[in-house]
Amino acid sequence: MLPLVSTTLFLPLAGATLLLVLPRPSARTVHGIGIATAFLTLAFAVAMWLQGVSGAGFSQVEELRWIPAIGAAYRVGVDGISLPLVLLSAVLFMIAFIYSSSLRERPRAFVALVLLLETAAIGTFTALDGILFYVFFEVSLVSMYFMIAGWGHEDRQPAALMFFLYTLLGSLPLLLAILGLYLGSPEPTFDMRAWIENPPLEGAAAMWALVAMLITFAVKIPAVPLHTWLPAAHVQAPTVGSVILAGIMLKFGTYGLVRFALQMTPDAFREAGMVVLVLGVVSALYGAFAALAQSDLKRLVAYTSINHMGYVIVGVAVAALTLDPSVRAVALDGAVLQMFSHGLVTGALFLLVGMIQDRAHTREMGEFGGLLKTVPMLGWSFVLAAFASLGLPGLAHFPAEFQIFLATLSAAPVAVVVILGIAIIAGTFLKALREAFLGEPRQRWQAMPDLSVREWLAIGPLLVLTVAIGVAPSWVLDIIHLTTSTLVL
Amino acid sequence: MGRDLALLIPEIVVLLTAVGALVAEMLRRPRIALAVAVIGLLAATGLTLRLVGADTTVFGGSFRIDELSVWAKLILLPATVLSMLLARVDVRGTAREGTVYSLLCFATFGALVLAGAGDSMFLVLGTLLTGLATFALVAYPDTDPATEAAMKYFVFGSVTGAIMIFGLSYWFAAGGSTLLADLRVPDAMPMAVIIGLVAVVIGLGYKASLVPFHFWAPDAYEGGPLSIAAYLSVVPKIGALFALAQVVRDLPPESGWTAIIAGLAVLTMTYGYLAALVQDNVIRLLAYSSIAQSGYFLLGIVAVGSSRLALPATILFAAAYAAMNLGAFAVTAATGRVLDAFRGVGRARPLTGIAMVVFLLSLVGIPPLAGFVGKFMLFAAAIDARFTWLAVVAIANSVLSLAVYLRIVVPMYRPAEASIAAPGAWPGVVALIAFAATLVIGLAAQFFLAGPMAWTP
Repeated sequence: MLPLVSTTLFLPLAGATLLLVLPRPSARTVHGIGIATAFLTLAFAVAMWLQGVSGAGFSQVEELRWIPAIGAAYRVGVDGISLPLVLLSAVLFMIAFIYSSSLRERPRAFVALVLLLETAAIGTFTALDGILFYVFFEVSLVSMYFMIAGWGHEDRQPAALMFFLYTLLGSLPLLLAILGLYLGSPEPTFDMRAWIENPPLEGAAAMWALVAMLITFAVKIPAVPLHTWLPAAHVQAPTVGSVILAGIMLKFGTYGLVRFALQMTPDAFREAGMVVLVLGVVSALYGAFAALAQSDLKRLVAYTSINHMGYVIVGVAVAALTLDPSVRAVALDGAVLQMFSHGLVTGALFLLVGMIQDRAHTREMGEFGGLLKTVPMLGWSFVLAAFASLGLPGLAHFPAEFQIFLATLSAAPVAVVVILGIAIIAGTFLKALREAFLGEPRQRWQAMPDLSVREWLAIGPLLVLTVAIGVAPSWVLDIIHLTTSTLVL
Repeated sequence: MGRDLALLIPEIVVLLTAVGALVAEMLRRPRIALAVAVIGLLAATGLTLRLVGADTTVFGGSFRIDELSVWAKLILLPATVLSMLLARVDVRGTAREGTVYSLLCFATFGALVLAGAGDSMFLVLGTLLTGLATFALVAYPDTDPATEAAMKYFVFGSVTGAIMIFGLSYWFAAGGSTLLADLRVPDAMPMAVIIGLVAVVIGLGYKASLVPFHFWAPDAYEGGPLSIAAYLSVVPKIGALFALAQVVRDLPPESGWTAIIAGLAVLTMTYGYLAALVQDNVIRLLAYSSIAQSGYFLLGIVAVGSSRLALPATILFAAAYAAMNLGAFAVTAATGRVLDAFRGVGRARPLTGIAMVVFLLSLVGIPPLAGFVGKFMLFAAAIDARFTWLAVVAIANSVLSLAVYLRIVVPMYRPAEASIAAPGAWPGVVALIAFAATLVIGLAAQFFLAGPMAWTP
């Protein structure tokens, strides 16, 4: 029996190695290898999905001895919280490779970096060992740095440096927290299952560890006021970089918030729950208002990410605050589904903005007009993705946000003010649609081509999944719910 | 006596190797001198393997055969071989080529004596041995900068050495013996112990280039041959730091030595990286970076005696540091001494580029490379010894270090202006070996930890 998780995890790395040892491959070969590897990885991720999870605890666990002297081992596995994120990663990376297959500038290095990033992403979601988690968490930083610095736009160097410094500074507190959990364990181990089963820290030590984790994950999510790297990095990153950054890497933060902060220091989190809740509400509202003020389409989408991630923080905080397990399950169901939906929808939005930029070499919405008439396919795709992003029922964000608000209403009714964010985001997107897509077509964009086959292949699956989640969320929710309903805090 | 000598076989082989290389040089056969030195040192490494797991002393407790001294041999002897291969490029065809190899063996012998010191006289002996040999090595090119650098190095070395000997007399007075183990006696005068410790820290801190005893390091690294800079930044430094670990093992904890070491750690890390941030010369940048890295070693040393992780962490980090630092110097040897020389290297020579990025990221402490595992263990040791604040400072410095090392990485991926030559054979080989070691130590840390972890009580 093939170890499914490890195969999914290391296939991209094997693809990257293959690329590096091939002598002078052509661009076609390089992209072919990239797409084939990502496709295989997706196939294995789907196999993992079909295997499913068993409810309480972790499933499909694979273990190998690594550094027994300090209790670290290679341990991977999934539960209902991580499995959707693994599937999301496999889908988004597949799409990233399809979209970037037209790249001709040093394709070998680019595809190898993205493959490395895919292993890092899947590894972060499947790691069940503290050190292993941190390793993947940091490797993703390095590859993203090189992607922005090597293939970004005009001012990429400072943005890449800021991204690397900011997030490294952010992730080092997590290292301290991991060391704290390790040294606090009765029998020193890095096994995350043991840390979850039996939270090793209590009292002030747990609170300090929680503060360290919150800093790390707040930078990654990003939550206000630690979000300032995000717009800069997005604006300068290549399109594929933005898709992965927003679609997957932001989830490292929210995933960590659940896996580490909530599950490993539950009592401290309950105590600090109100603070986190406020952080989430402020993030969501700030992100929404900031998005409203943007005229650059990419920055706009970047800020809506802060808003959507703010809802996830609210969901997790509510799960920590409430004493009712059923409310907690609803809140976490919403939070995890929100991560999944946000990956699909924001991925689609960044792709579409990237397509517009490829054609027009600008992202200022004021310079466009009537795009729905000049490029109807692209235009209607954007309309669909924008409606999904503002939470229209029947599209991906609605079931997620609905559950988060429902749980918030029963656990911390005041925090429901966060619902205002939806209205503001709606205004933001309607403004963008009016300026760029409606109205009379402009002369200078008359020759703009509509979606090519490659672009259809990239955007199509995302839109289909967006509708599929909106109409019938149960195919994902059932898996999530198996874990959230049995979660003991 | 026979047992003692049998335990010292590796050291004896190193000494004989040094003499053998010298004899070959007297016969004007530098290539044979190199061959003798390389084979001799590798043989000594091999002979050390059977000592892994030993924990004893020889000559009445004055020299220790324990995890520190055994691993010092396993780390420093291969590191010396790599430095020698780099040195071959620097000194090839010069008048006294063979003496360089011989002196390198003598200096390494001194570093090994330091790492196993169980007696204050061995501290003096080791400092002098490494000192005298390396002064000559720095001055070897016989150019003005080299002579000036050697002079600075020498003057600094004699003053700090004299201070150390002066301080050791206090320890002799306090304990009535030159054995380090006798400092443990409860009625030792605390004041004398502290004065002696301060003097020893000055003497060893100079070798390990701890701030504020580091002033010679950037000049000596820049003035002397590049290979000698690589050597100085690894072998004598690790020898001195291990000696410091041997010293503090026997100090009573209530004497307050941890505060001194912790303070030095903060100063060394922070100053080293801040100074590295403004260098345009890669050798000076790496010199300041190696100063800062010494500060990280102190995280392990501060925890000696209170955390069982301390010694394994120090040893693991020493192995990681030797690999990644020698690798960075080897790439620099193949590329050039100024930052501009790195322009476009990553694009023109992808493999050299990847290797350099790996060395530098490992120096930052990015997983899964060797430097990460080493620093991770050091942080764990410091936190275990209730020095969490020190670990926090070290972590803040790691962020600073990223800014330092990216100063080399960023130009590497800019379009090249001049054509870039392929690295020579030896720097290439050294970089490759160091590259493999940096990856392997990161992924197979168990090999380095299993022994030392089992050793400590």
